[in-house]
Amino acid sequence: MEKKLSVMNYEEEGRVKSIEQDLKNKVAGMGIRVGKNLKMITKHPLKGPIVVEVDGSYTSLALSVADRIIMEVKR
Amino acid sequence: MKKILLMGNPNVGKSVFFNRLTGANVIESNYPGTTVDYAKGYMKGDSEDFEIIDVPGTFSLESKDKAEEVAVKMLEEEKGALVICVIDASKIERGLYLALEIIERGYPVVLALNMWDVAEDKNIQIDIEKLKSILNIPVVPTIAISGKGFKEVVLSLKKTASVRVNEITERVGEIK
Repeated sequence: MEKKLSVMNYEEEGRVKSIEQDLKNKVAGMGIRVGKNLKMITKHPLKGPIVVEVDGSYTSLALSVADRIIMEVKR
Repeated sequence: MKKILLMGNPNVGKSVFFNRLTGANVIESNYPGTTVDYAKGYMKGDSEDFEIIDVPGTFSLESKDKAEEVAVKMLEEEKGALVICVIDASKIERGLYLALEIIERGYPVVLALNMWDVAEDKNIQIDIEKLKSILNIPVVPTIAISGKGFKEVVLSLKKTASVRVNEITERVGEIK
């Protein structure tokens, strides 16, 4: 199933399916690229940033950035 | 005097590196974004002296905020500088991304795999010899808070030279 990274639930895991073109290089520096496995760790309230686990370490992303990353998640 | 830029992702220990190399005392903390401006210091090498600049942490050379802007601008202003790229050995992929961007711009780089102890604790194994032969630059495991690897980093400074990224790509291709 496909969903935006921004709407993933706590502890949910998935694989990055696509990233909007102009965002690709920005998030690549944080270790996020197509094919990577991510796990949702924290979603801050009031449209705050999210925290995901990638390669065993945590990275935070603005919600607006997470909105533009499409994930493939298991049901 | 030859200049050295200390660059790396946020929160990998650049400022601890800086303090150790120069004997200065800039503020260190355990969260990202502590250095938003830069600090300068001096270090005695074995044959020459160096000016060392502690650059704010950045994920890439396409700046997303003020601190990253400072980092990129500093790199661009110091054309003849050497770069010690400090990366977190336990988060090696994103560190290498930045390192390659710096190499791509033609700077001679020494790669310091910092937090080596943390990577060991997490059971992350890194083949340093292979990394060295692919990148063709000095690669040194370090633990900034204890000082491990610093002597080698300083000795490596005169061994590094700029490398062409397409040569690195070719060598990666050979491995597959």
